[in-house]
Amino acid sequence: MRLYAIRRQEPLKWGSCLVFPAALAFSLAFCCLLLAIQGKPPLTGLASLFAGAFGSHHALQDTLLKAVPIFLCALGVAVAFRMQIWNIGAEGQYALGAVGATWAALAFPDAPRPVLIPLMLLSGGLAGGMWALIPALLKVRLRVNEIISTLMLNYIGINFLDWLVYGAWKDPASFGFPMTARFSPSALFPRLPGTRLHLGLALCALAGVAVWLWLSRTRLGYEVKAAGSGPRASVYARMDYGFLVCLVMAVCGVLAGTAGLTETVASAGRLQPSIMAGYGYTAIVVAWLARLNPLSIAVAAFLLAGLRVGVENLQLSLQVPAAFGGILEGCILLSVLAGQFVTGFRFRVERDEGRAETEGAA
Amino acid sequence: MRMFSKLLFLALLALAAFGCAEDKKEPEKKAEPAPKAEAPAAAPAPAALKVGFIYVSPIGDAGWSYAHDLGRKAIAALPGVETTYVEAVPEGPDSERVVTKMAREGANLILTTSFGYMDPTLNVAKEFPDVKFMHCSGFKRADNVGTYFGRMYQARYLSGLVAGSMTKANKLGYVAAFPIPEVIRGINAFTLGVQKVNPDAEVRVVWTKTWYDPATEKEAAKALLDAGCDVIAQHQDSPGPQEAAQERGVYSVGYNSDMSSFAPKAHLTAPVWNWSVIYTYLVEQVRSGAWKSEDIWWGMDKGVVDLAPFGPMVPEEVKAKVAAAKADIIAGKELVFTGPIFDQKGEQKAAAGQTLSDPDLLGMKWFVKGVVGSTE
Amino acid sequence: MSIELLIPLLAAAVQSGTPVLFATLGELVTERSGTLNLGVEGMLLMGAFSGFFVCILTGSPWLGFVAGGVGAMLLASLHGLVTIVFLGNQVVSGLALTILGVGLADFLGQPFIGQKVAGFSKYALPGLADLPALGPIFFRQDALVYCSYLAAPLVWFLFARTSLGLALDAAGENPKAAKAAGLSVASLRWFGLLAGAFLAGLGGAYLSLAYTQFWTSNLSAGRGWIAVALVIFAFWRPRGAVLGAYLFGGVMAFQLRLQAAGANLPSSLLLMLPYAMTILALIAANLRKGRAGAPAALGVNVEPEE
Repeated sequence: MRLYAIRRQEPLKWGSCLVFPAALAFSLAFCCLLLAIQGKPPLTGLASLFAGAFGSHHALQDTLLKAVPIFLCALGVAVAFRMQIWNIGAEGQYALGAVGATWAALAFPDAPRPVLIPLMLLSGGLAGGMWALIPALLKVRLRVNEIISTLMLNYIGINFLDWLVYGAWKDPASFGFPMTARFSPSALFPRLPGTRLHLGLALCALAGVAVWLWLSRTRLGYEVKAAGSGPRASVYARMDYGFLVCLVMAVCGVLAGTAGLTETVASAGRLQPSIMAGYGYTAIVVAWLARLNPLSIAVAAFLLAGLRVGVENLQLSLQVPAAFGGILEGCILLSVLAGQFVTGFRFRVERDEGRAETEGAA
Repeated sequence: MRMFSKLLFLALLALAAFGCAEDKKEPEKKAEPAPKAEAPAAAPAPAALKVGFIYVSPIGDAGWSYAHDLGRKAIAALPGVETTYVEAVPEGPDSERVVTKMAREGANLILTTSFGYMDPTLNVAKEFPDVKFMHCSGFKRADNVGTYFGRMYQARYLSGLVAGSMTKANKLGYVAAFPIPEVIRGINAFTLGVQKVNPDAEVRVVWTKTWYDPATEKEAAKALLDAGCDVIAQHQDSPGPQEAAQERGVYSVGYNSDMSSFAPKAHLTAPVWNWSVIYTYLVEQVRSGAWKSEDIWWGMDKGVVDLAPFGPMVPEEVKAKVAAAKADIIAGKELVFTGPIFDQKGEQKAAAGQTLSDPDLLGMKWFVKGVVGSTE
Repeated sequence: MSIELLIPLLAAAVQSGTPVLFATLGELVTERSGTLNLGVEGMLLMGAFSGFFVCILTGSPWLGFVAGGVGAMLLASLHGLVTIVFLGNQVVSGLALTILGVGLADFLGQPFIGQKVAGFSKYALPGLADLPALGPIFFRQDALVYCSYLAAPLVWFLFARTSLGLALDAAGENPKAAKAAGLSVASLRWFGLLAGAFLAGLGGAYLSLAYTQFWTSNLSAGRGWIAVALVIFAFWRPRGAVLGAYLFGGVMAFQLRLQAAGANLPSSLLLMLPYAMTILALIAANLRKGRAGAPAALGVNVEPEE
């Protein structure tokens, strides 16, 4: 007897509605097991996980804010992935964005807010974009594989940030600690009164809509998608392949740079090496999980942020190690991926003796 | 694709529903967390004191956070004290969120144990005037934010006395993590200790730019050994450098906690932390209502820093010399940073008999004469 | 630089290149069979943990070494399940594998924090160790480094001389044709994935049993990512993997030695060196020999057909 899988003519309608909860349930069950092994009450654990992520308006705010840098980076890499450009350099572009914005904030401390914030956005976005152009040009001109160059540029970018913060930009009043001087209050993002929500959220909305419009409603966006099927396909397009590579990389750099700048001004209001938290890598997962669709990216970023924020609550209430979050996250991702199979395929069991077929409804 | 987002939205709705349901159930289980941050202070019954800790790395780093967690465990054993912690919290906006959450959940005292938590701690403290905050190793305070640290340089100096007596090559190596004042101060104190017993010796510094990468730390120690150093000291969390010294048959000085089990033949001693001293004191202060925002910078006299037991290779006369210096430090004599002190370029930083002030020490960004390396 | 400094530098390059070499060779095998596995970092850590755990349990470093490979294989089989069986996206699955592996190793390793293990110490190969220059560089290392000397030619032999290697390449280059020729692409990809994971796990075990001999969290500190990059740097050739791994180890060891020698340079700039060198070396290689590409079907799942 053998089991076959066949691609469905059409994706299973609402199949994903089964898959996602099922995958989630599976992962949570596994984690309950882990909790139980450690002698912690599993159901209380799950409850505190959800309460910490989505259970109150505070929790929702925390989750939303945590999702901001993840969303921006993921949106950026998704644009590049659309064109099959394997940009894993969002981490470095994020660092450079923070550096660029810091330059503006330090150079014009007396500028009023309506001038300074757009200026920071401009310089941060520009710095991130330029950084992303390096691997783009290396790819177009010298045929250097972008996976390797973007990865290496991540390390270089982070060390560049370190170099500035440990050297030229070190705050003389910081007792030698590696951080820049505090920005002037007008550099800080305004917050929605009564909440911790800040301008970064609006930037996300803006960027999300803009990218969605660009990719789905403009000719250029269409050509990006077309070029994704290979340089040959875009020969017939209006635009040069090299130009498109540079364009998507720059867009990704600008978005990741904006994420870096958001994190810099969100809390401390100064540049510190500790803003590097790996969002550039998280973004790749989110982008793919959401199948590069801006709207799905927003949802996936929100859920992933919720998971990460919720795990802190779990740590607080049950004292489980931080590694628990990684296990949970890995499980969810893997089971969602595996589960998506049933939406695209159906199973067929074939007996050896004949062609008697039994179709599994999955 | 559209299907997928539909699905995600549904899932999201389900989650939100679940979350809300949880919220409603909550009062049965425990006091509603959000609005009652100030409740414990007003409660008439002697409620348990809730102490929260935030660590920058997993306590599994076997180094800095691990040492703090030993302190936490010590106060958790006290009657009427509840502790909680969150580990591996990045120092950016994430830390602000976690500190806020702790304050909201009713912690009375929150200890933020890494330098980068300074601004976030102050930001949160403004919103929770009734919660006490203590930030480790920083320099900014507020009405409800104090700072604490230990004078590790005293123990470093003593370890320098030992190392300086044991070197034959007169070249010592120092594997260091990041060029920040705390580390630079430690290198200087170590060097001054070395030069006290061995004026010609030099200390070479290699920066690894990482707190926990055992292999790189070991590699850095080997680079120093290849450059001719014959005692290795470290400001790193892992025992990697200790192993390197043992393999080459030379001596080493550990850090954070007694690392002798990793290199029994090499490990001379180690400057170690004992945070429980400060934590016990803080718990008493908060409980008695005597707590006020202060800058705690305690040294050997209180037992916050100390030396790990000596290895068997340390001669008695060296032990006696160290014991004498230790007694002097405990008696309050300023041994370590008392002039004449010169920097790398030979510029005088403290005249004979003059002692560097605490602000000078806190912001130290120059190496004393005899250190070979860059402060960047 | 004098010869007395150069030889220890090269010896250090070999040693610090070894874990990366194992991981690079492993990823190379996996990628040539058509599977992209970005979970190398997770596999290194699972390998490091399983190796350490079994060594403590049994007292045998060799068993630990093998267990390191097996631990990584177990983790990688999840990747196989998701991508080969269920045809999930290889990029996400690999990244999830890293997240999961790092978490698992950290979680399971908690009881062992700060424990020491009697792993592999240096062993000078009789005869070879006394060769001038080569001896101290290559033959006064530990036993696992010698294993890595065998691993690279083995991988080369696999792809250059065996029909299995040819079949693996077919599964990575043109799975449809491979299938038409009667090969089971799924089995080949499983083999490539698991064999590669085994090698990566050996690299992890090298970290916890030979390079350092104790357990702390995050022992691999990003070496898995370097391996992913080096496979591309090597143009999917074992020889290039050896070159890349030692070059990377060498540049890292070099910057540490530059500091130890008293060079008064900011360390942030020195730390950029290995990464900048990698890009430059890649540019140079590109200019010289023109395009050598990835396996054509790398990262592309093979759908079952009727």
